[in-house]
Amino acid sequence: MNLVILFVQVWGGIGAVVALVFLIFGISRIDEDARGALSFRPLLIPGILIIWPLVIWRWWQLTGTTTTSVTRSAPRESHAIVAVVLAVIVSATLFTTEAIRQEWPSHLAPIRLDQAQ
Amino acid sequence: MSDKRPFFVGYLPTPRELRLLLISVAVAAITAFVVAAWAVGTTQDNPGDGRLRFDLGRQTIVGVLETSPYPMVHVTHGTDVIATGETLMLAGAGKFGVEPHASRVDSPVVEVTGVLLNRGDIRMLQVPNPRRNLKAIDGEGPSVNSKNLGRWRLAGEICDGKCLAGAMRPGRGIAHKACAELCIEGGVPPVFVTTQPVADHEFMLIANGDGEPLNSELLEKVGVYISLEGELIQRGSLAVFLANHESIEVLP
Repeated sequence: MNLVILFVQVWGGIGAVVALVFLIFGISRIDEDARGALSFRPLLIPGILIIWPLVIWRWWQLTGTTTTSVTRSAPRESHAIVAVVLAVIVSATLFTTEAIRQEWPSHLAPIRLDQAQ
Repeated sequence: MSDKRPFFVGYLPTPRELRLLLISVAVAAITAFVVAAWAVGTTQDNPGDGRLRFDLGRQTIVGVLETSPYPMVHVTHGTDVIATGETLMLAGAGKFGVEPHASRVDSPVVEVTGVLLNRGDIRMLQVPNPRRNLKAIDGEGPSVNSKNLGRWRLAGEICDGKCLAGAMRPGRGIAHKACAELCIEGGVPPVFVTTQPVADHEFMLIANGDGEPLNSELLEKVGVYISLEGELIQRGSLAVFLANHESIEVLP
C-alpha cells in the first residue's frame, strides 16, 4: 500500500511540474486559441496531473506547428475508439466490484471462547 | 461541392433522415439509465432508518463522564427520549470527537447538550462546541456498573458510530470506508456491528485489547467484513469489545 501511495505522490508531483510549465509557457505555443486566454488554464490542472505523459508527448509533437484541422484530427479520430474503451472499462469496473464484493457473514455466529471471570 | 449529409444541431429542427436514429438513441439511453439505476439500487444494502434527530430538539442530560476508550456518558438525569441509566457515546460536530475537551473536564459529573443520533439500538449524542455544551457540574456520580461478559470470537464490521447511527446513509460498508476512517481518527467512537446479537447487544463500542483507542491494525480493517477475538465488557448499558488485532481474519 505504501508503494502505491508513493507512486501516486511521485506521479502527481511530476504532473504538477508539467502542469505549471505547460500552462504558463507551452499551451500558447501549440494552440493559438489559447493565446491570451488565461482563466480556463487552472481548470486543466487536474487532468494534466493524471495524463502528463500524454501532454508532454503532444507538446513535443505539436511544437513548431500551427493549430489547424490537421493537428486536431488525430485526437478527434480517436474519439470513437476511446468512447468504446471507456464504456467497456466503466461497465467492467461496475460488474467486477459487484462480483468481488464481500458477503455479509450472517452465517457466522458469535463464539464464546471462555467463561466470564 | 457542398456536403448534403444530414447534420444534427440541437437547437435546429431535426433532419428527417435522423429522426428515427435520434428517437432510437434517446429511448435506448433512457432505458439504459433506468436499468442501471435499478441494478445498482437493488444490489445495495438497506441503509436503515438512522438519522440525526433534530426533530426531537436539543437534549440536555446530566451524567457520569467516562473518556476511555472513547467519551461516553452514563445518564443520571435523562430526558423524555434519553432514559436515566442509559449509556450514550459522545461525538462532536463533523468528523470530530469530544475527547480533547472531555479529558480536561475536572469533574466526573457533567451536563451535556446535544442532538441525538439513533439507528435501532445504536444511540449517540452529537455535542457541537463541546467547550460550551459539555460542562462539569458539582456532585459525585454513582459508580458505573462494569461486568465482564467473557471472551468471544465475533464476525462483523468495524464502523464509525456516528455515521452508522444516522449521520450518513449508508454509514457502513466498503464504500464508506474512507469516511469512517477519517471519523474514527478524528475521535468519533467506533462500533463493531456483529452478525448476530451477543449478550443482547447488536453492536458494541470497540477498542484495543488494552482499552486504548483503535490502533492502526484495527483502523485498516474498518469497513471490511472480519472476524476477531476479544474481551466483551459491559459498561453501564453499553457493551465494549476490547479486540485483539492479532486475531483478525478477513472474511471472503
